[in-house]
Amino acid sequence: MNKDLLNILSNSNKDIDNQLLMDYLNGKLSGEEKQAVEQLMADNDFMNDALEGLQHFDNKKDLDSYVGQLNATLQKNLQKKKLRREKRRLKEYPWTYLAILLILALCVAAYFIISKAVHFR
Amino acid sequence: MTKDPFSHITDQELLERFYAEKNNEWLGILLERYTLLLLGVCMKYLKQQEEAKDCVQQIFVKIITELPKYKVDYFKSWIYTIARNHCLMKLRDRHGRVPAELTDSLLVSWDEDPVKNKHLEKEQLLEFMGQALEDLGKEQKLCVILFYLEKKSYQEIAESTGYTLMQVKSHIQNGKRNLKLLIEKKAGEKSKSS
Repeated sequence: MNKDLLNILSNSNKDIDNQLLMDYLNGKLSGEEKQAVEQLMADNDFMNDALEGLQHFDNKKDLDSYVGQLNATLQKNLQKKKLRREKRRLKEYPWTYLAILLILALCVAAYFIISKAVHFR
Repeated sequence: MTKDPFSHITDQELLERFYAEKNNEWLGILLERYTLLLLGVCMKYLKQQEEAKDCVQQIFVKIITELPKYKVDYFKSWIYTIARNHCLMKLRDRHGRVPAELTDSLLVSWDEDPVKNKHLEKEQLLEFMGQALEDLGKEQKLCVILFYLEKKSYQEIAESTGYTLMQVKSHIQNGKRNLKLLIEKKAGEKSKSS
């Protein structure tokens, strides 16, 4: 019995190579490579839905710019969230930060007082 | 398509680093790997380019807010569930009807193959598979054999059988599902009789 039969039972959970998908959509793959992508589709619903949807785009060249725009917005959102978190941290512990500032100010003042005292002596 | 400079780091490692360091940079790298796929999924359901693009943005926002709240083990299945549910919700808003939602339990089979859990011997499994293949309908059997055993592409199968591409795809997917069910049944019968 052919051992390839067991492949039918596999559920692929491999990390997905975007370039490979684009090459598949643009018809750049050899017969063997094409079959490998299709096997991933048959074993993975996410990949299957995604490729079916991507095939609906009128112009495959638009995909690159869509992905670029989406990634740029994503990075902006992540940055905003980071800033918000830092601000919140400042709001949550105002006394800690005030105490640190006070201690620093005292250190500076002490330095000047001591250096003046040494100078007078 | 720009090349991912972090391609040596797996999705799972990125996720672990994000949870350990609470650093959004890791999440950004991980999500960028899925932008194209999410765009495809949204397009499949919504059928309009601009709407699909907006939908991906909304899904990203949802993920950024939800992910830190849970310990997600299977990122790919999780993100797919979030994306599908979001699309279904959009469709519901558009048409005012209620499509069936995906639940987490539906995705269990995606990561944990029930057949594997039966601990069947490889030889036994092959024997069951051979019998199950014979029990499949004619079209499904033909497409499954051409696809998995003869390694033909969808296009080649469509050309040699005269089915459309969509028919080929659905015969393969349904055939695969039926094979699993048949094997489960045979394994169940065997464990009862022994």
